[in-house]
Amino acid sequence: MSSLLARRLLQLIPTVVILSLIIFSLQHLLPGDPALVLAGENPDEATLAAVRAQYHLDQPIFVQYIFWVKGVMTGDLGESMRHNRPVLDLILLKLPVTLQLAIMGIVVALILGVLGGVISALRQNSAVDYATNVVSLAGISVPNFWLGIMLILFFSVHLGWLPASGFVSPSEDLKMNLSTTIMPAFVLGTAIAGVIMRHTRSAMLQALESDYVRTARAKGLSEWVVVFKHAMRNALTPIITLGALEFGALLSGAVLTEQIFTIPGFGKLIVDAVFTRDYSVVQGVVLVTSLFYIILNLLADIGYILVNPRLRS
Amino acid sequence: MSTSQNILHAPSARSVRADDAVPSVLDVSNLRVVFEGDTRTVTAVDGVSFSVKKGRTLAIVGESGSGKSVTSLALMRLLPEHTARVSGNVNFDGRQLLTEPTSTMRSLRGNRLAMIFQEPMTSLNPSYTVGEQIKEVILRHRQMSKKEAAERTIAMLRLVRIPSPETRYHQYPHNLSGGMRQRVMIAMALACDPELLIADEPTTALDVTIQAQVLELMRELQQKTGTAIVLITHDLGVVAESCDDVIVMYAGQVVEQCSVEELFTFPQHPYTVGLLGSLPRLDEKRERLAAITGTVPDMANPPAGCRFQARCPFRINKCAEMPALMEVSQSHFSRCWRAPMEDLVP
Repeated sequence: MSSLLARRLLQLIPTVVILSLIIFSLQHLLPGDPALVLAGENPDEATLAAVRAQYHLDQPIFVQYIFWVKGVMTGDLGESMRHNRPVLDLILLKLPVTLQLAIMGIVVALILGVLGGVISALRQNSAVDYATNVVSLAGISVPNFWLGIMLILFFSVHLGWLPASGFVSPSEDLKMNLSTTIMPAFVLGTAIAGVIMRHTRSAMLQALESDYVRTARAKGLSEWVVVFKHAMRNALTPIITLGALEFGALLSGAVLTEQIFTIPGFGKLIVDAVFTRDYSVVQGVVLVTSLFYIILNLLADIGYILVNPRLRS
Repeated sequence: MSTSQNILHAPSARSVRADDAVPSVLDVSNLRVVFEGDTRTVTAVDGVSFSVKKGRTLAIVGESGSGKSVTSLALMRLLPEHTARVSGNVNFDGRQLLTEPTSTMRSLRGNRLAMIFQEPMTSLNPSYTVGEQIKEVILRHRQMSKKEAAERTIAMLRLVRIPSPETRYHQYPHNLSGGMRQRVMIAMALACDPELLIADEPTTALDVTIQAQVLELMRELQQKTGTAIVLITHDLGVVAESCDDVIVMYAGQVVEQCSVEELFTFPQHPYTVGLLGSLPRLDEKRERLAAITGTVPDMANPPAGCRFQARCPFRINKCAEMPALMEVSQSHFSRCWRAPMEDLVP
């Protein structure tokens, strides 16, 4: 197992290097001279040269890359031109919000998806199965922004139960925090729940038809043990990978949902940064979400090894 | 009589069996299994009756699709309830298995009625250790602590002659060879001392040398425990080696029922004769093995009359009517209009 893990960690190195190259070149693919932006209005040649020297823009591109990597390693992701603050500060400010939404979203998705998938597999071709399928298809097909707006209309405007938008930090007021995040988390979760449900259903059906489940029944085990111990253990292994990937998608893909519910998270940060051409922020956010993706993938692989004894030895 | 009798050196065929007084563990009468699909209905098992005596081995022989596996799964009530309609009587130790509540069936399965399957590769759960899977059945049916159950598991592994059972206990099925896994299946099935063991093609997926070892093991354990065995197989070599009585199934029906000696020396159904004819033998010179021509009939639309008639070299006009399973000699039954026939020899 340790050698497998070591191999898996080694594989990270080229991935991270390629990723850093892509993100670094992002800045250079954009039109315009960054020195012109940084030096303020109508700069003279001397100021421009000073700015170029300060940010190593006069150096060859490879050297610039090395400086950038060094900066990233020490937590220096550059300055936001719009906020006049280090990018890292902004990210650390917004990350917990998005992380909370993503965790709540994936929990909603896993509960609905796994539960729905198992139930419809156990009741294959019954009315319950068809109903779950229709609902999951709806979850996949209905656009997030539409569902978000409908939820706001119903729960905030019509019933007045939940605030329509905004965000309260959990350290400030936990109850308000939950009431501001429950709707966006539900919107995020339902979109993924459908996918997880379909996968769980087919994996469970396959497991329930397997020889080892027949053996478990021939041992006189209760249906509960047969389903939840013998079938589910094997059916859920692919769901681990799927869940990790979807969680990564939630971290970067909550843009629309955060926009609708005006949640000050990552999505909103990146959209605002794109609109105001705050490139170092865009770069920083892309870097952090990509790293999250890579780490989640690694965790999924480790989880996969842990639940699958065939990979362990 | 036939020449084959001399070759097999069988004891006098058609003699009255001395052990007819042995009590039976399982009595099956008129078992029918109908699978109802959306478009077609298939009668997989059609009025099968037999009994298994204590401490003896009954072989159920037939080719793929003859209904032998379905028969065994029906006895265990392991067929999917929403598609399979099972009727008839299955009497096990005074209980009618087909009408017992599910909870009673669960307390019998793995305990007094055990089963092993054809595919040792896939019949064990890949996610749990071998020990855990055997221990589970002991804990389910016996009042034992986890420690005692683990000890019994190791004793069972030793009984089925798995080397270093303490190590194997903690290993996963993928660490074991096919033969080892089938031994694990046998240990699991026998862990609660069942009165009846149903073995569905237990050696088919194994190498020939391993097959012999596994059969030998089963026979030895049977002598120790007195467990009755229903051995489902398509391999007549296995039948000759390890069974006492035999029923031959064709297209969902029993076509011949007798002792193993009788089957080899005095077969009374053309299908059995065909099966024996397709056995390779070293003691006779043959140009080629005699295969039975044609295929098993479509069980959604079985032919009227004898189901074997289309493939039968002994066919007569009367075969258009379905023959009953008739006693052709003492304890020997055949579903053939022409039985008994002296010259019905492979």
